[in-house]
Amino acid sequence: MTPIVVAEDLRKTFTLTRKQQRIERTREARRVAVNGLSFCAYRGEIYGLLGPNGAGKTTTLRILSTLIRPDAGDAYLLGHSVVKEAAKVRDCIGFLTGELKLEAFFTPDYLFEFFGAMHGLGKEEIRARKRDLFPRFGIDKFAQVKVGDLSTGMKQKVSLAISIVHDPEIIIFDEPTNGLDVLTTKVIVDFLAELKRMGKSILLSTHIFSLVEKLCDRVGVIIDGRMIAEDTLSALTAESSLEDKFFALYRQEKGDVI
Amino acid sequence: MKLAALMRKEFYRFFHDPRLIIAVLIPGVIIFLVYTVLGSILSSDKDETYAYRVFLSGDSVAVSLIGAAVEESGNTVEWVTATDAESAKSAVENGEATAFLAFSDGFDTAAGEVELYYTSGETESFSFGSIASALLREYGMRYRFQSVDLADESQLQSQFMGAFLPMLIVCFTFTASMGITVESVAGEKERGTIATILATSVKRSHVALGKIIPLACISLLGAASGFFGIVFSMPRLMGLSIAVFDFGIRNYILLFFLTVSIVPFIVACIALVSTYAKTVKEATAYVSIIMIFFIVLSVVAGIATGIGEWVVAVPVLNATVVMSLLLGGALPVWQTLVSVGCNLVYTALLVFLIAKMFQSERIMFR
Repeated sequence: MTPIVVAEDLRKTFTLTRKQQRIERTREARRVAVNGLSFCAYRGEIYGLLGPNGAGKTTTLRILSTLIRPDAGDAYLLGHSVVKEAAKVRDCIGFLTGELKLEAFFTPDYLFEFFGAMHGLGKEEIRARKRDLFPRFGIDKFAQVKVGDLSTGMKQKVSLAISIVHDPEIIIFDEPTNGLDVLTTKVIVDFLAELKRMGKSILLSTHIFSLVEKLCDRVGVIIDGRMIAEDTLSALTAESSLEDKFFALYRQEKGDVI
Repeated sequence: MKLAALMRKEFYRFFHDPRLIIAVLIPGVIIFLVYTVLGSILSSDKDETYAYRVFLSGDSVAVSLIGAAVEESGNTVEWVTATDAESAKSAVENGEATAFLAFSDGFDTAAGEVELYYTSGETESFSFGSIASALLREYGMRYRFQSVDLADESQLQSQFMGAFLPMLIVCFTFTASMGITVESVAGEKERGTIATILATSVKRSHVALGKIIPLACISLLGAASGFFGIVFSMPRLMGLSIAVFDFGIRNYILLFFLTVSIVPFIVACIALVSTYAKTVKEATAYVSIIMIFFIVLSVVAGIATGIGEWVVAVPVLNATVVMSLLLGGALPVWQTLVSVGCNLVYTALLVFLIAKMFQSERIMFR
């Protein structure tokens, strides 16, 4: 097994504004989002980061996609450091998250070509990718409709296609099925499985147990920014279902709060 | 190629949205219409016939020629012999007389001199001054001609307009660039679409330049719209004695370069605060403060006299001061070149800063 994503002791803290302190009724000036997180994902696998809201999943993926820098530690994607070689990391990953939006004014067709150019692809390469991806997601039917006029599901399909326009080795998805209807969710889940068959390495964050059970080869459970458990799905679910295992870990970590 | 794609996107966004095109170009059209209508209303009395009352000191054949020219233009002139030059001048200043013409002794036989006193603020006086000046300039003899405008400060519309044109150009530039730049930078940041671009391997400096260059070009269109709005409405306004705009092509070229140099600087300023701001609303508030600051500066530059040459190193202020010099009839070539150079250097510094801000997660992802 070839390690393809290696996170080493990642740590990230955020300063709380006075407003945030008031809302959360706390006096702490800094909040630890990721606290010494280490894990390893292997080539051709789907790695799932499982955790409740606020556990640090999104922050971890943002660090891996070089949108933010860790306060300490480092992560290596295909051997490139997220701290020292951010541009190289960006070229070898596709990142899909709810916070990265597409401009409502443009059409999927225009944006696909634009982001292809942003990744340094030539016109012919972009056309070839478009011929491959648009029919697969049914985007060709609304390729000339402005993004602002598309439904949430259609937008998510367009975002997904655009995030992999450059055919990256590693694909990072932050809650890829959030807010989607069952049909669009199926399209995305099937596509993730297909990407895996194509030999791509996928890292996804989610709090949906069924998604992890359906897709992931390896799972990391994050609570309060720390990696509580990490193993293959089969090892984690050897004695109980993933859901039971997760809540057992949660109680162990946080006490009997649920 | 990535920079070209970024620039194309901005141009596409603008030229495929009629609302944006109208918002940028409409100020110039409005200025043209307002100035033309204003000029037409205020100069409607131009068709009236005047009965000039002109004080005369000394004598010359030119007097009868001026009289003939006045009658030919449908007006009449009453020549009044001036007993005292000073009282004649004050009569002109007070509006009791149209003008005062003073010929030296033996003007027609020797190379003498003639002085013409009028007030450009009074339509009637300016009208006579124009006829007399034109005729005396064409008069075939060797003599010294001095034309003196006795208009007081409140009457000097030309100087007033000359002082305020730089301010208008700064205003046009701000109004043309504010909406589109705030929308393009702060708007994209607020909607999270710029983060999608930053997640690719494109250089941050290219993202900054990919915004500034097209937005500056588009803003230049807006500024040009305002500028040509003024220039094309000038014939009507010039009827109001704004002779200050009667300058040559070289002055226009220098004026154009000065305008071109402040546009990218202003766009970069707006882009900088828009990058810092969390929302469009916040960015608009910051930009309004900057706009007021630069407009006040340009008003001061238009009115104040004796500003040192150090001013060429101060962005925007340099352009407005040099514009005032241009409008005053001077041809300040080196000041223009240094001002343009300084403005471009400052713009480059701002682009560098914006690129740094794009790299800052505290600014981009807070």
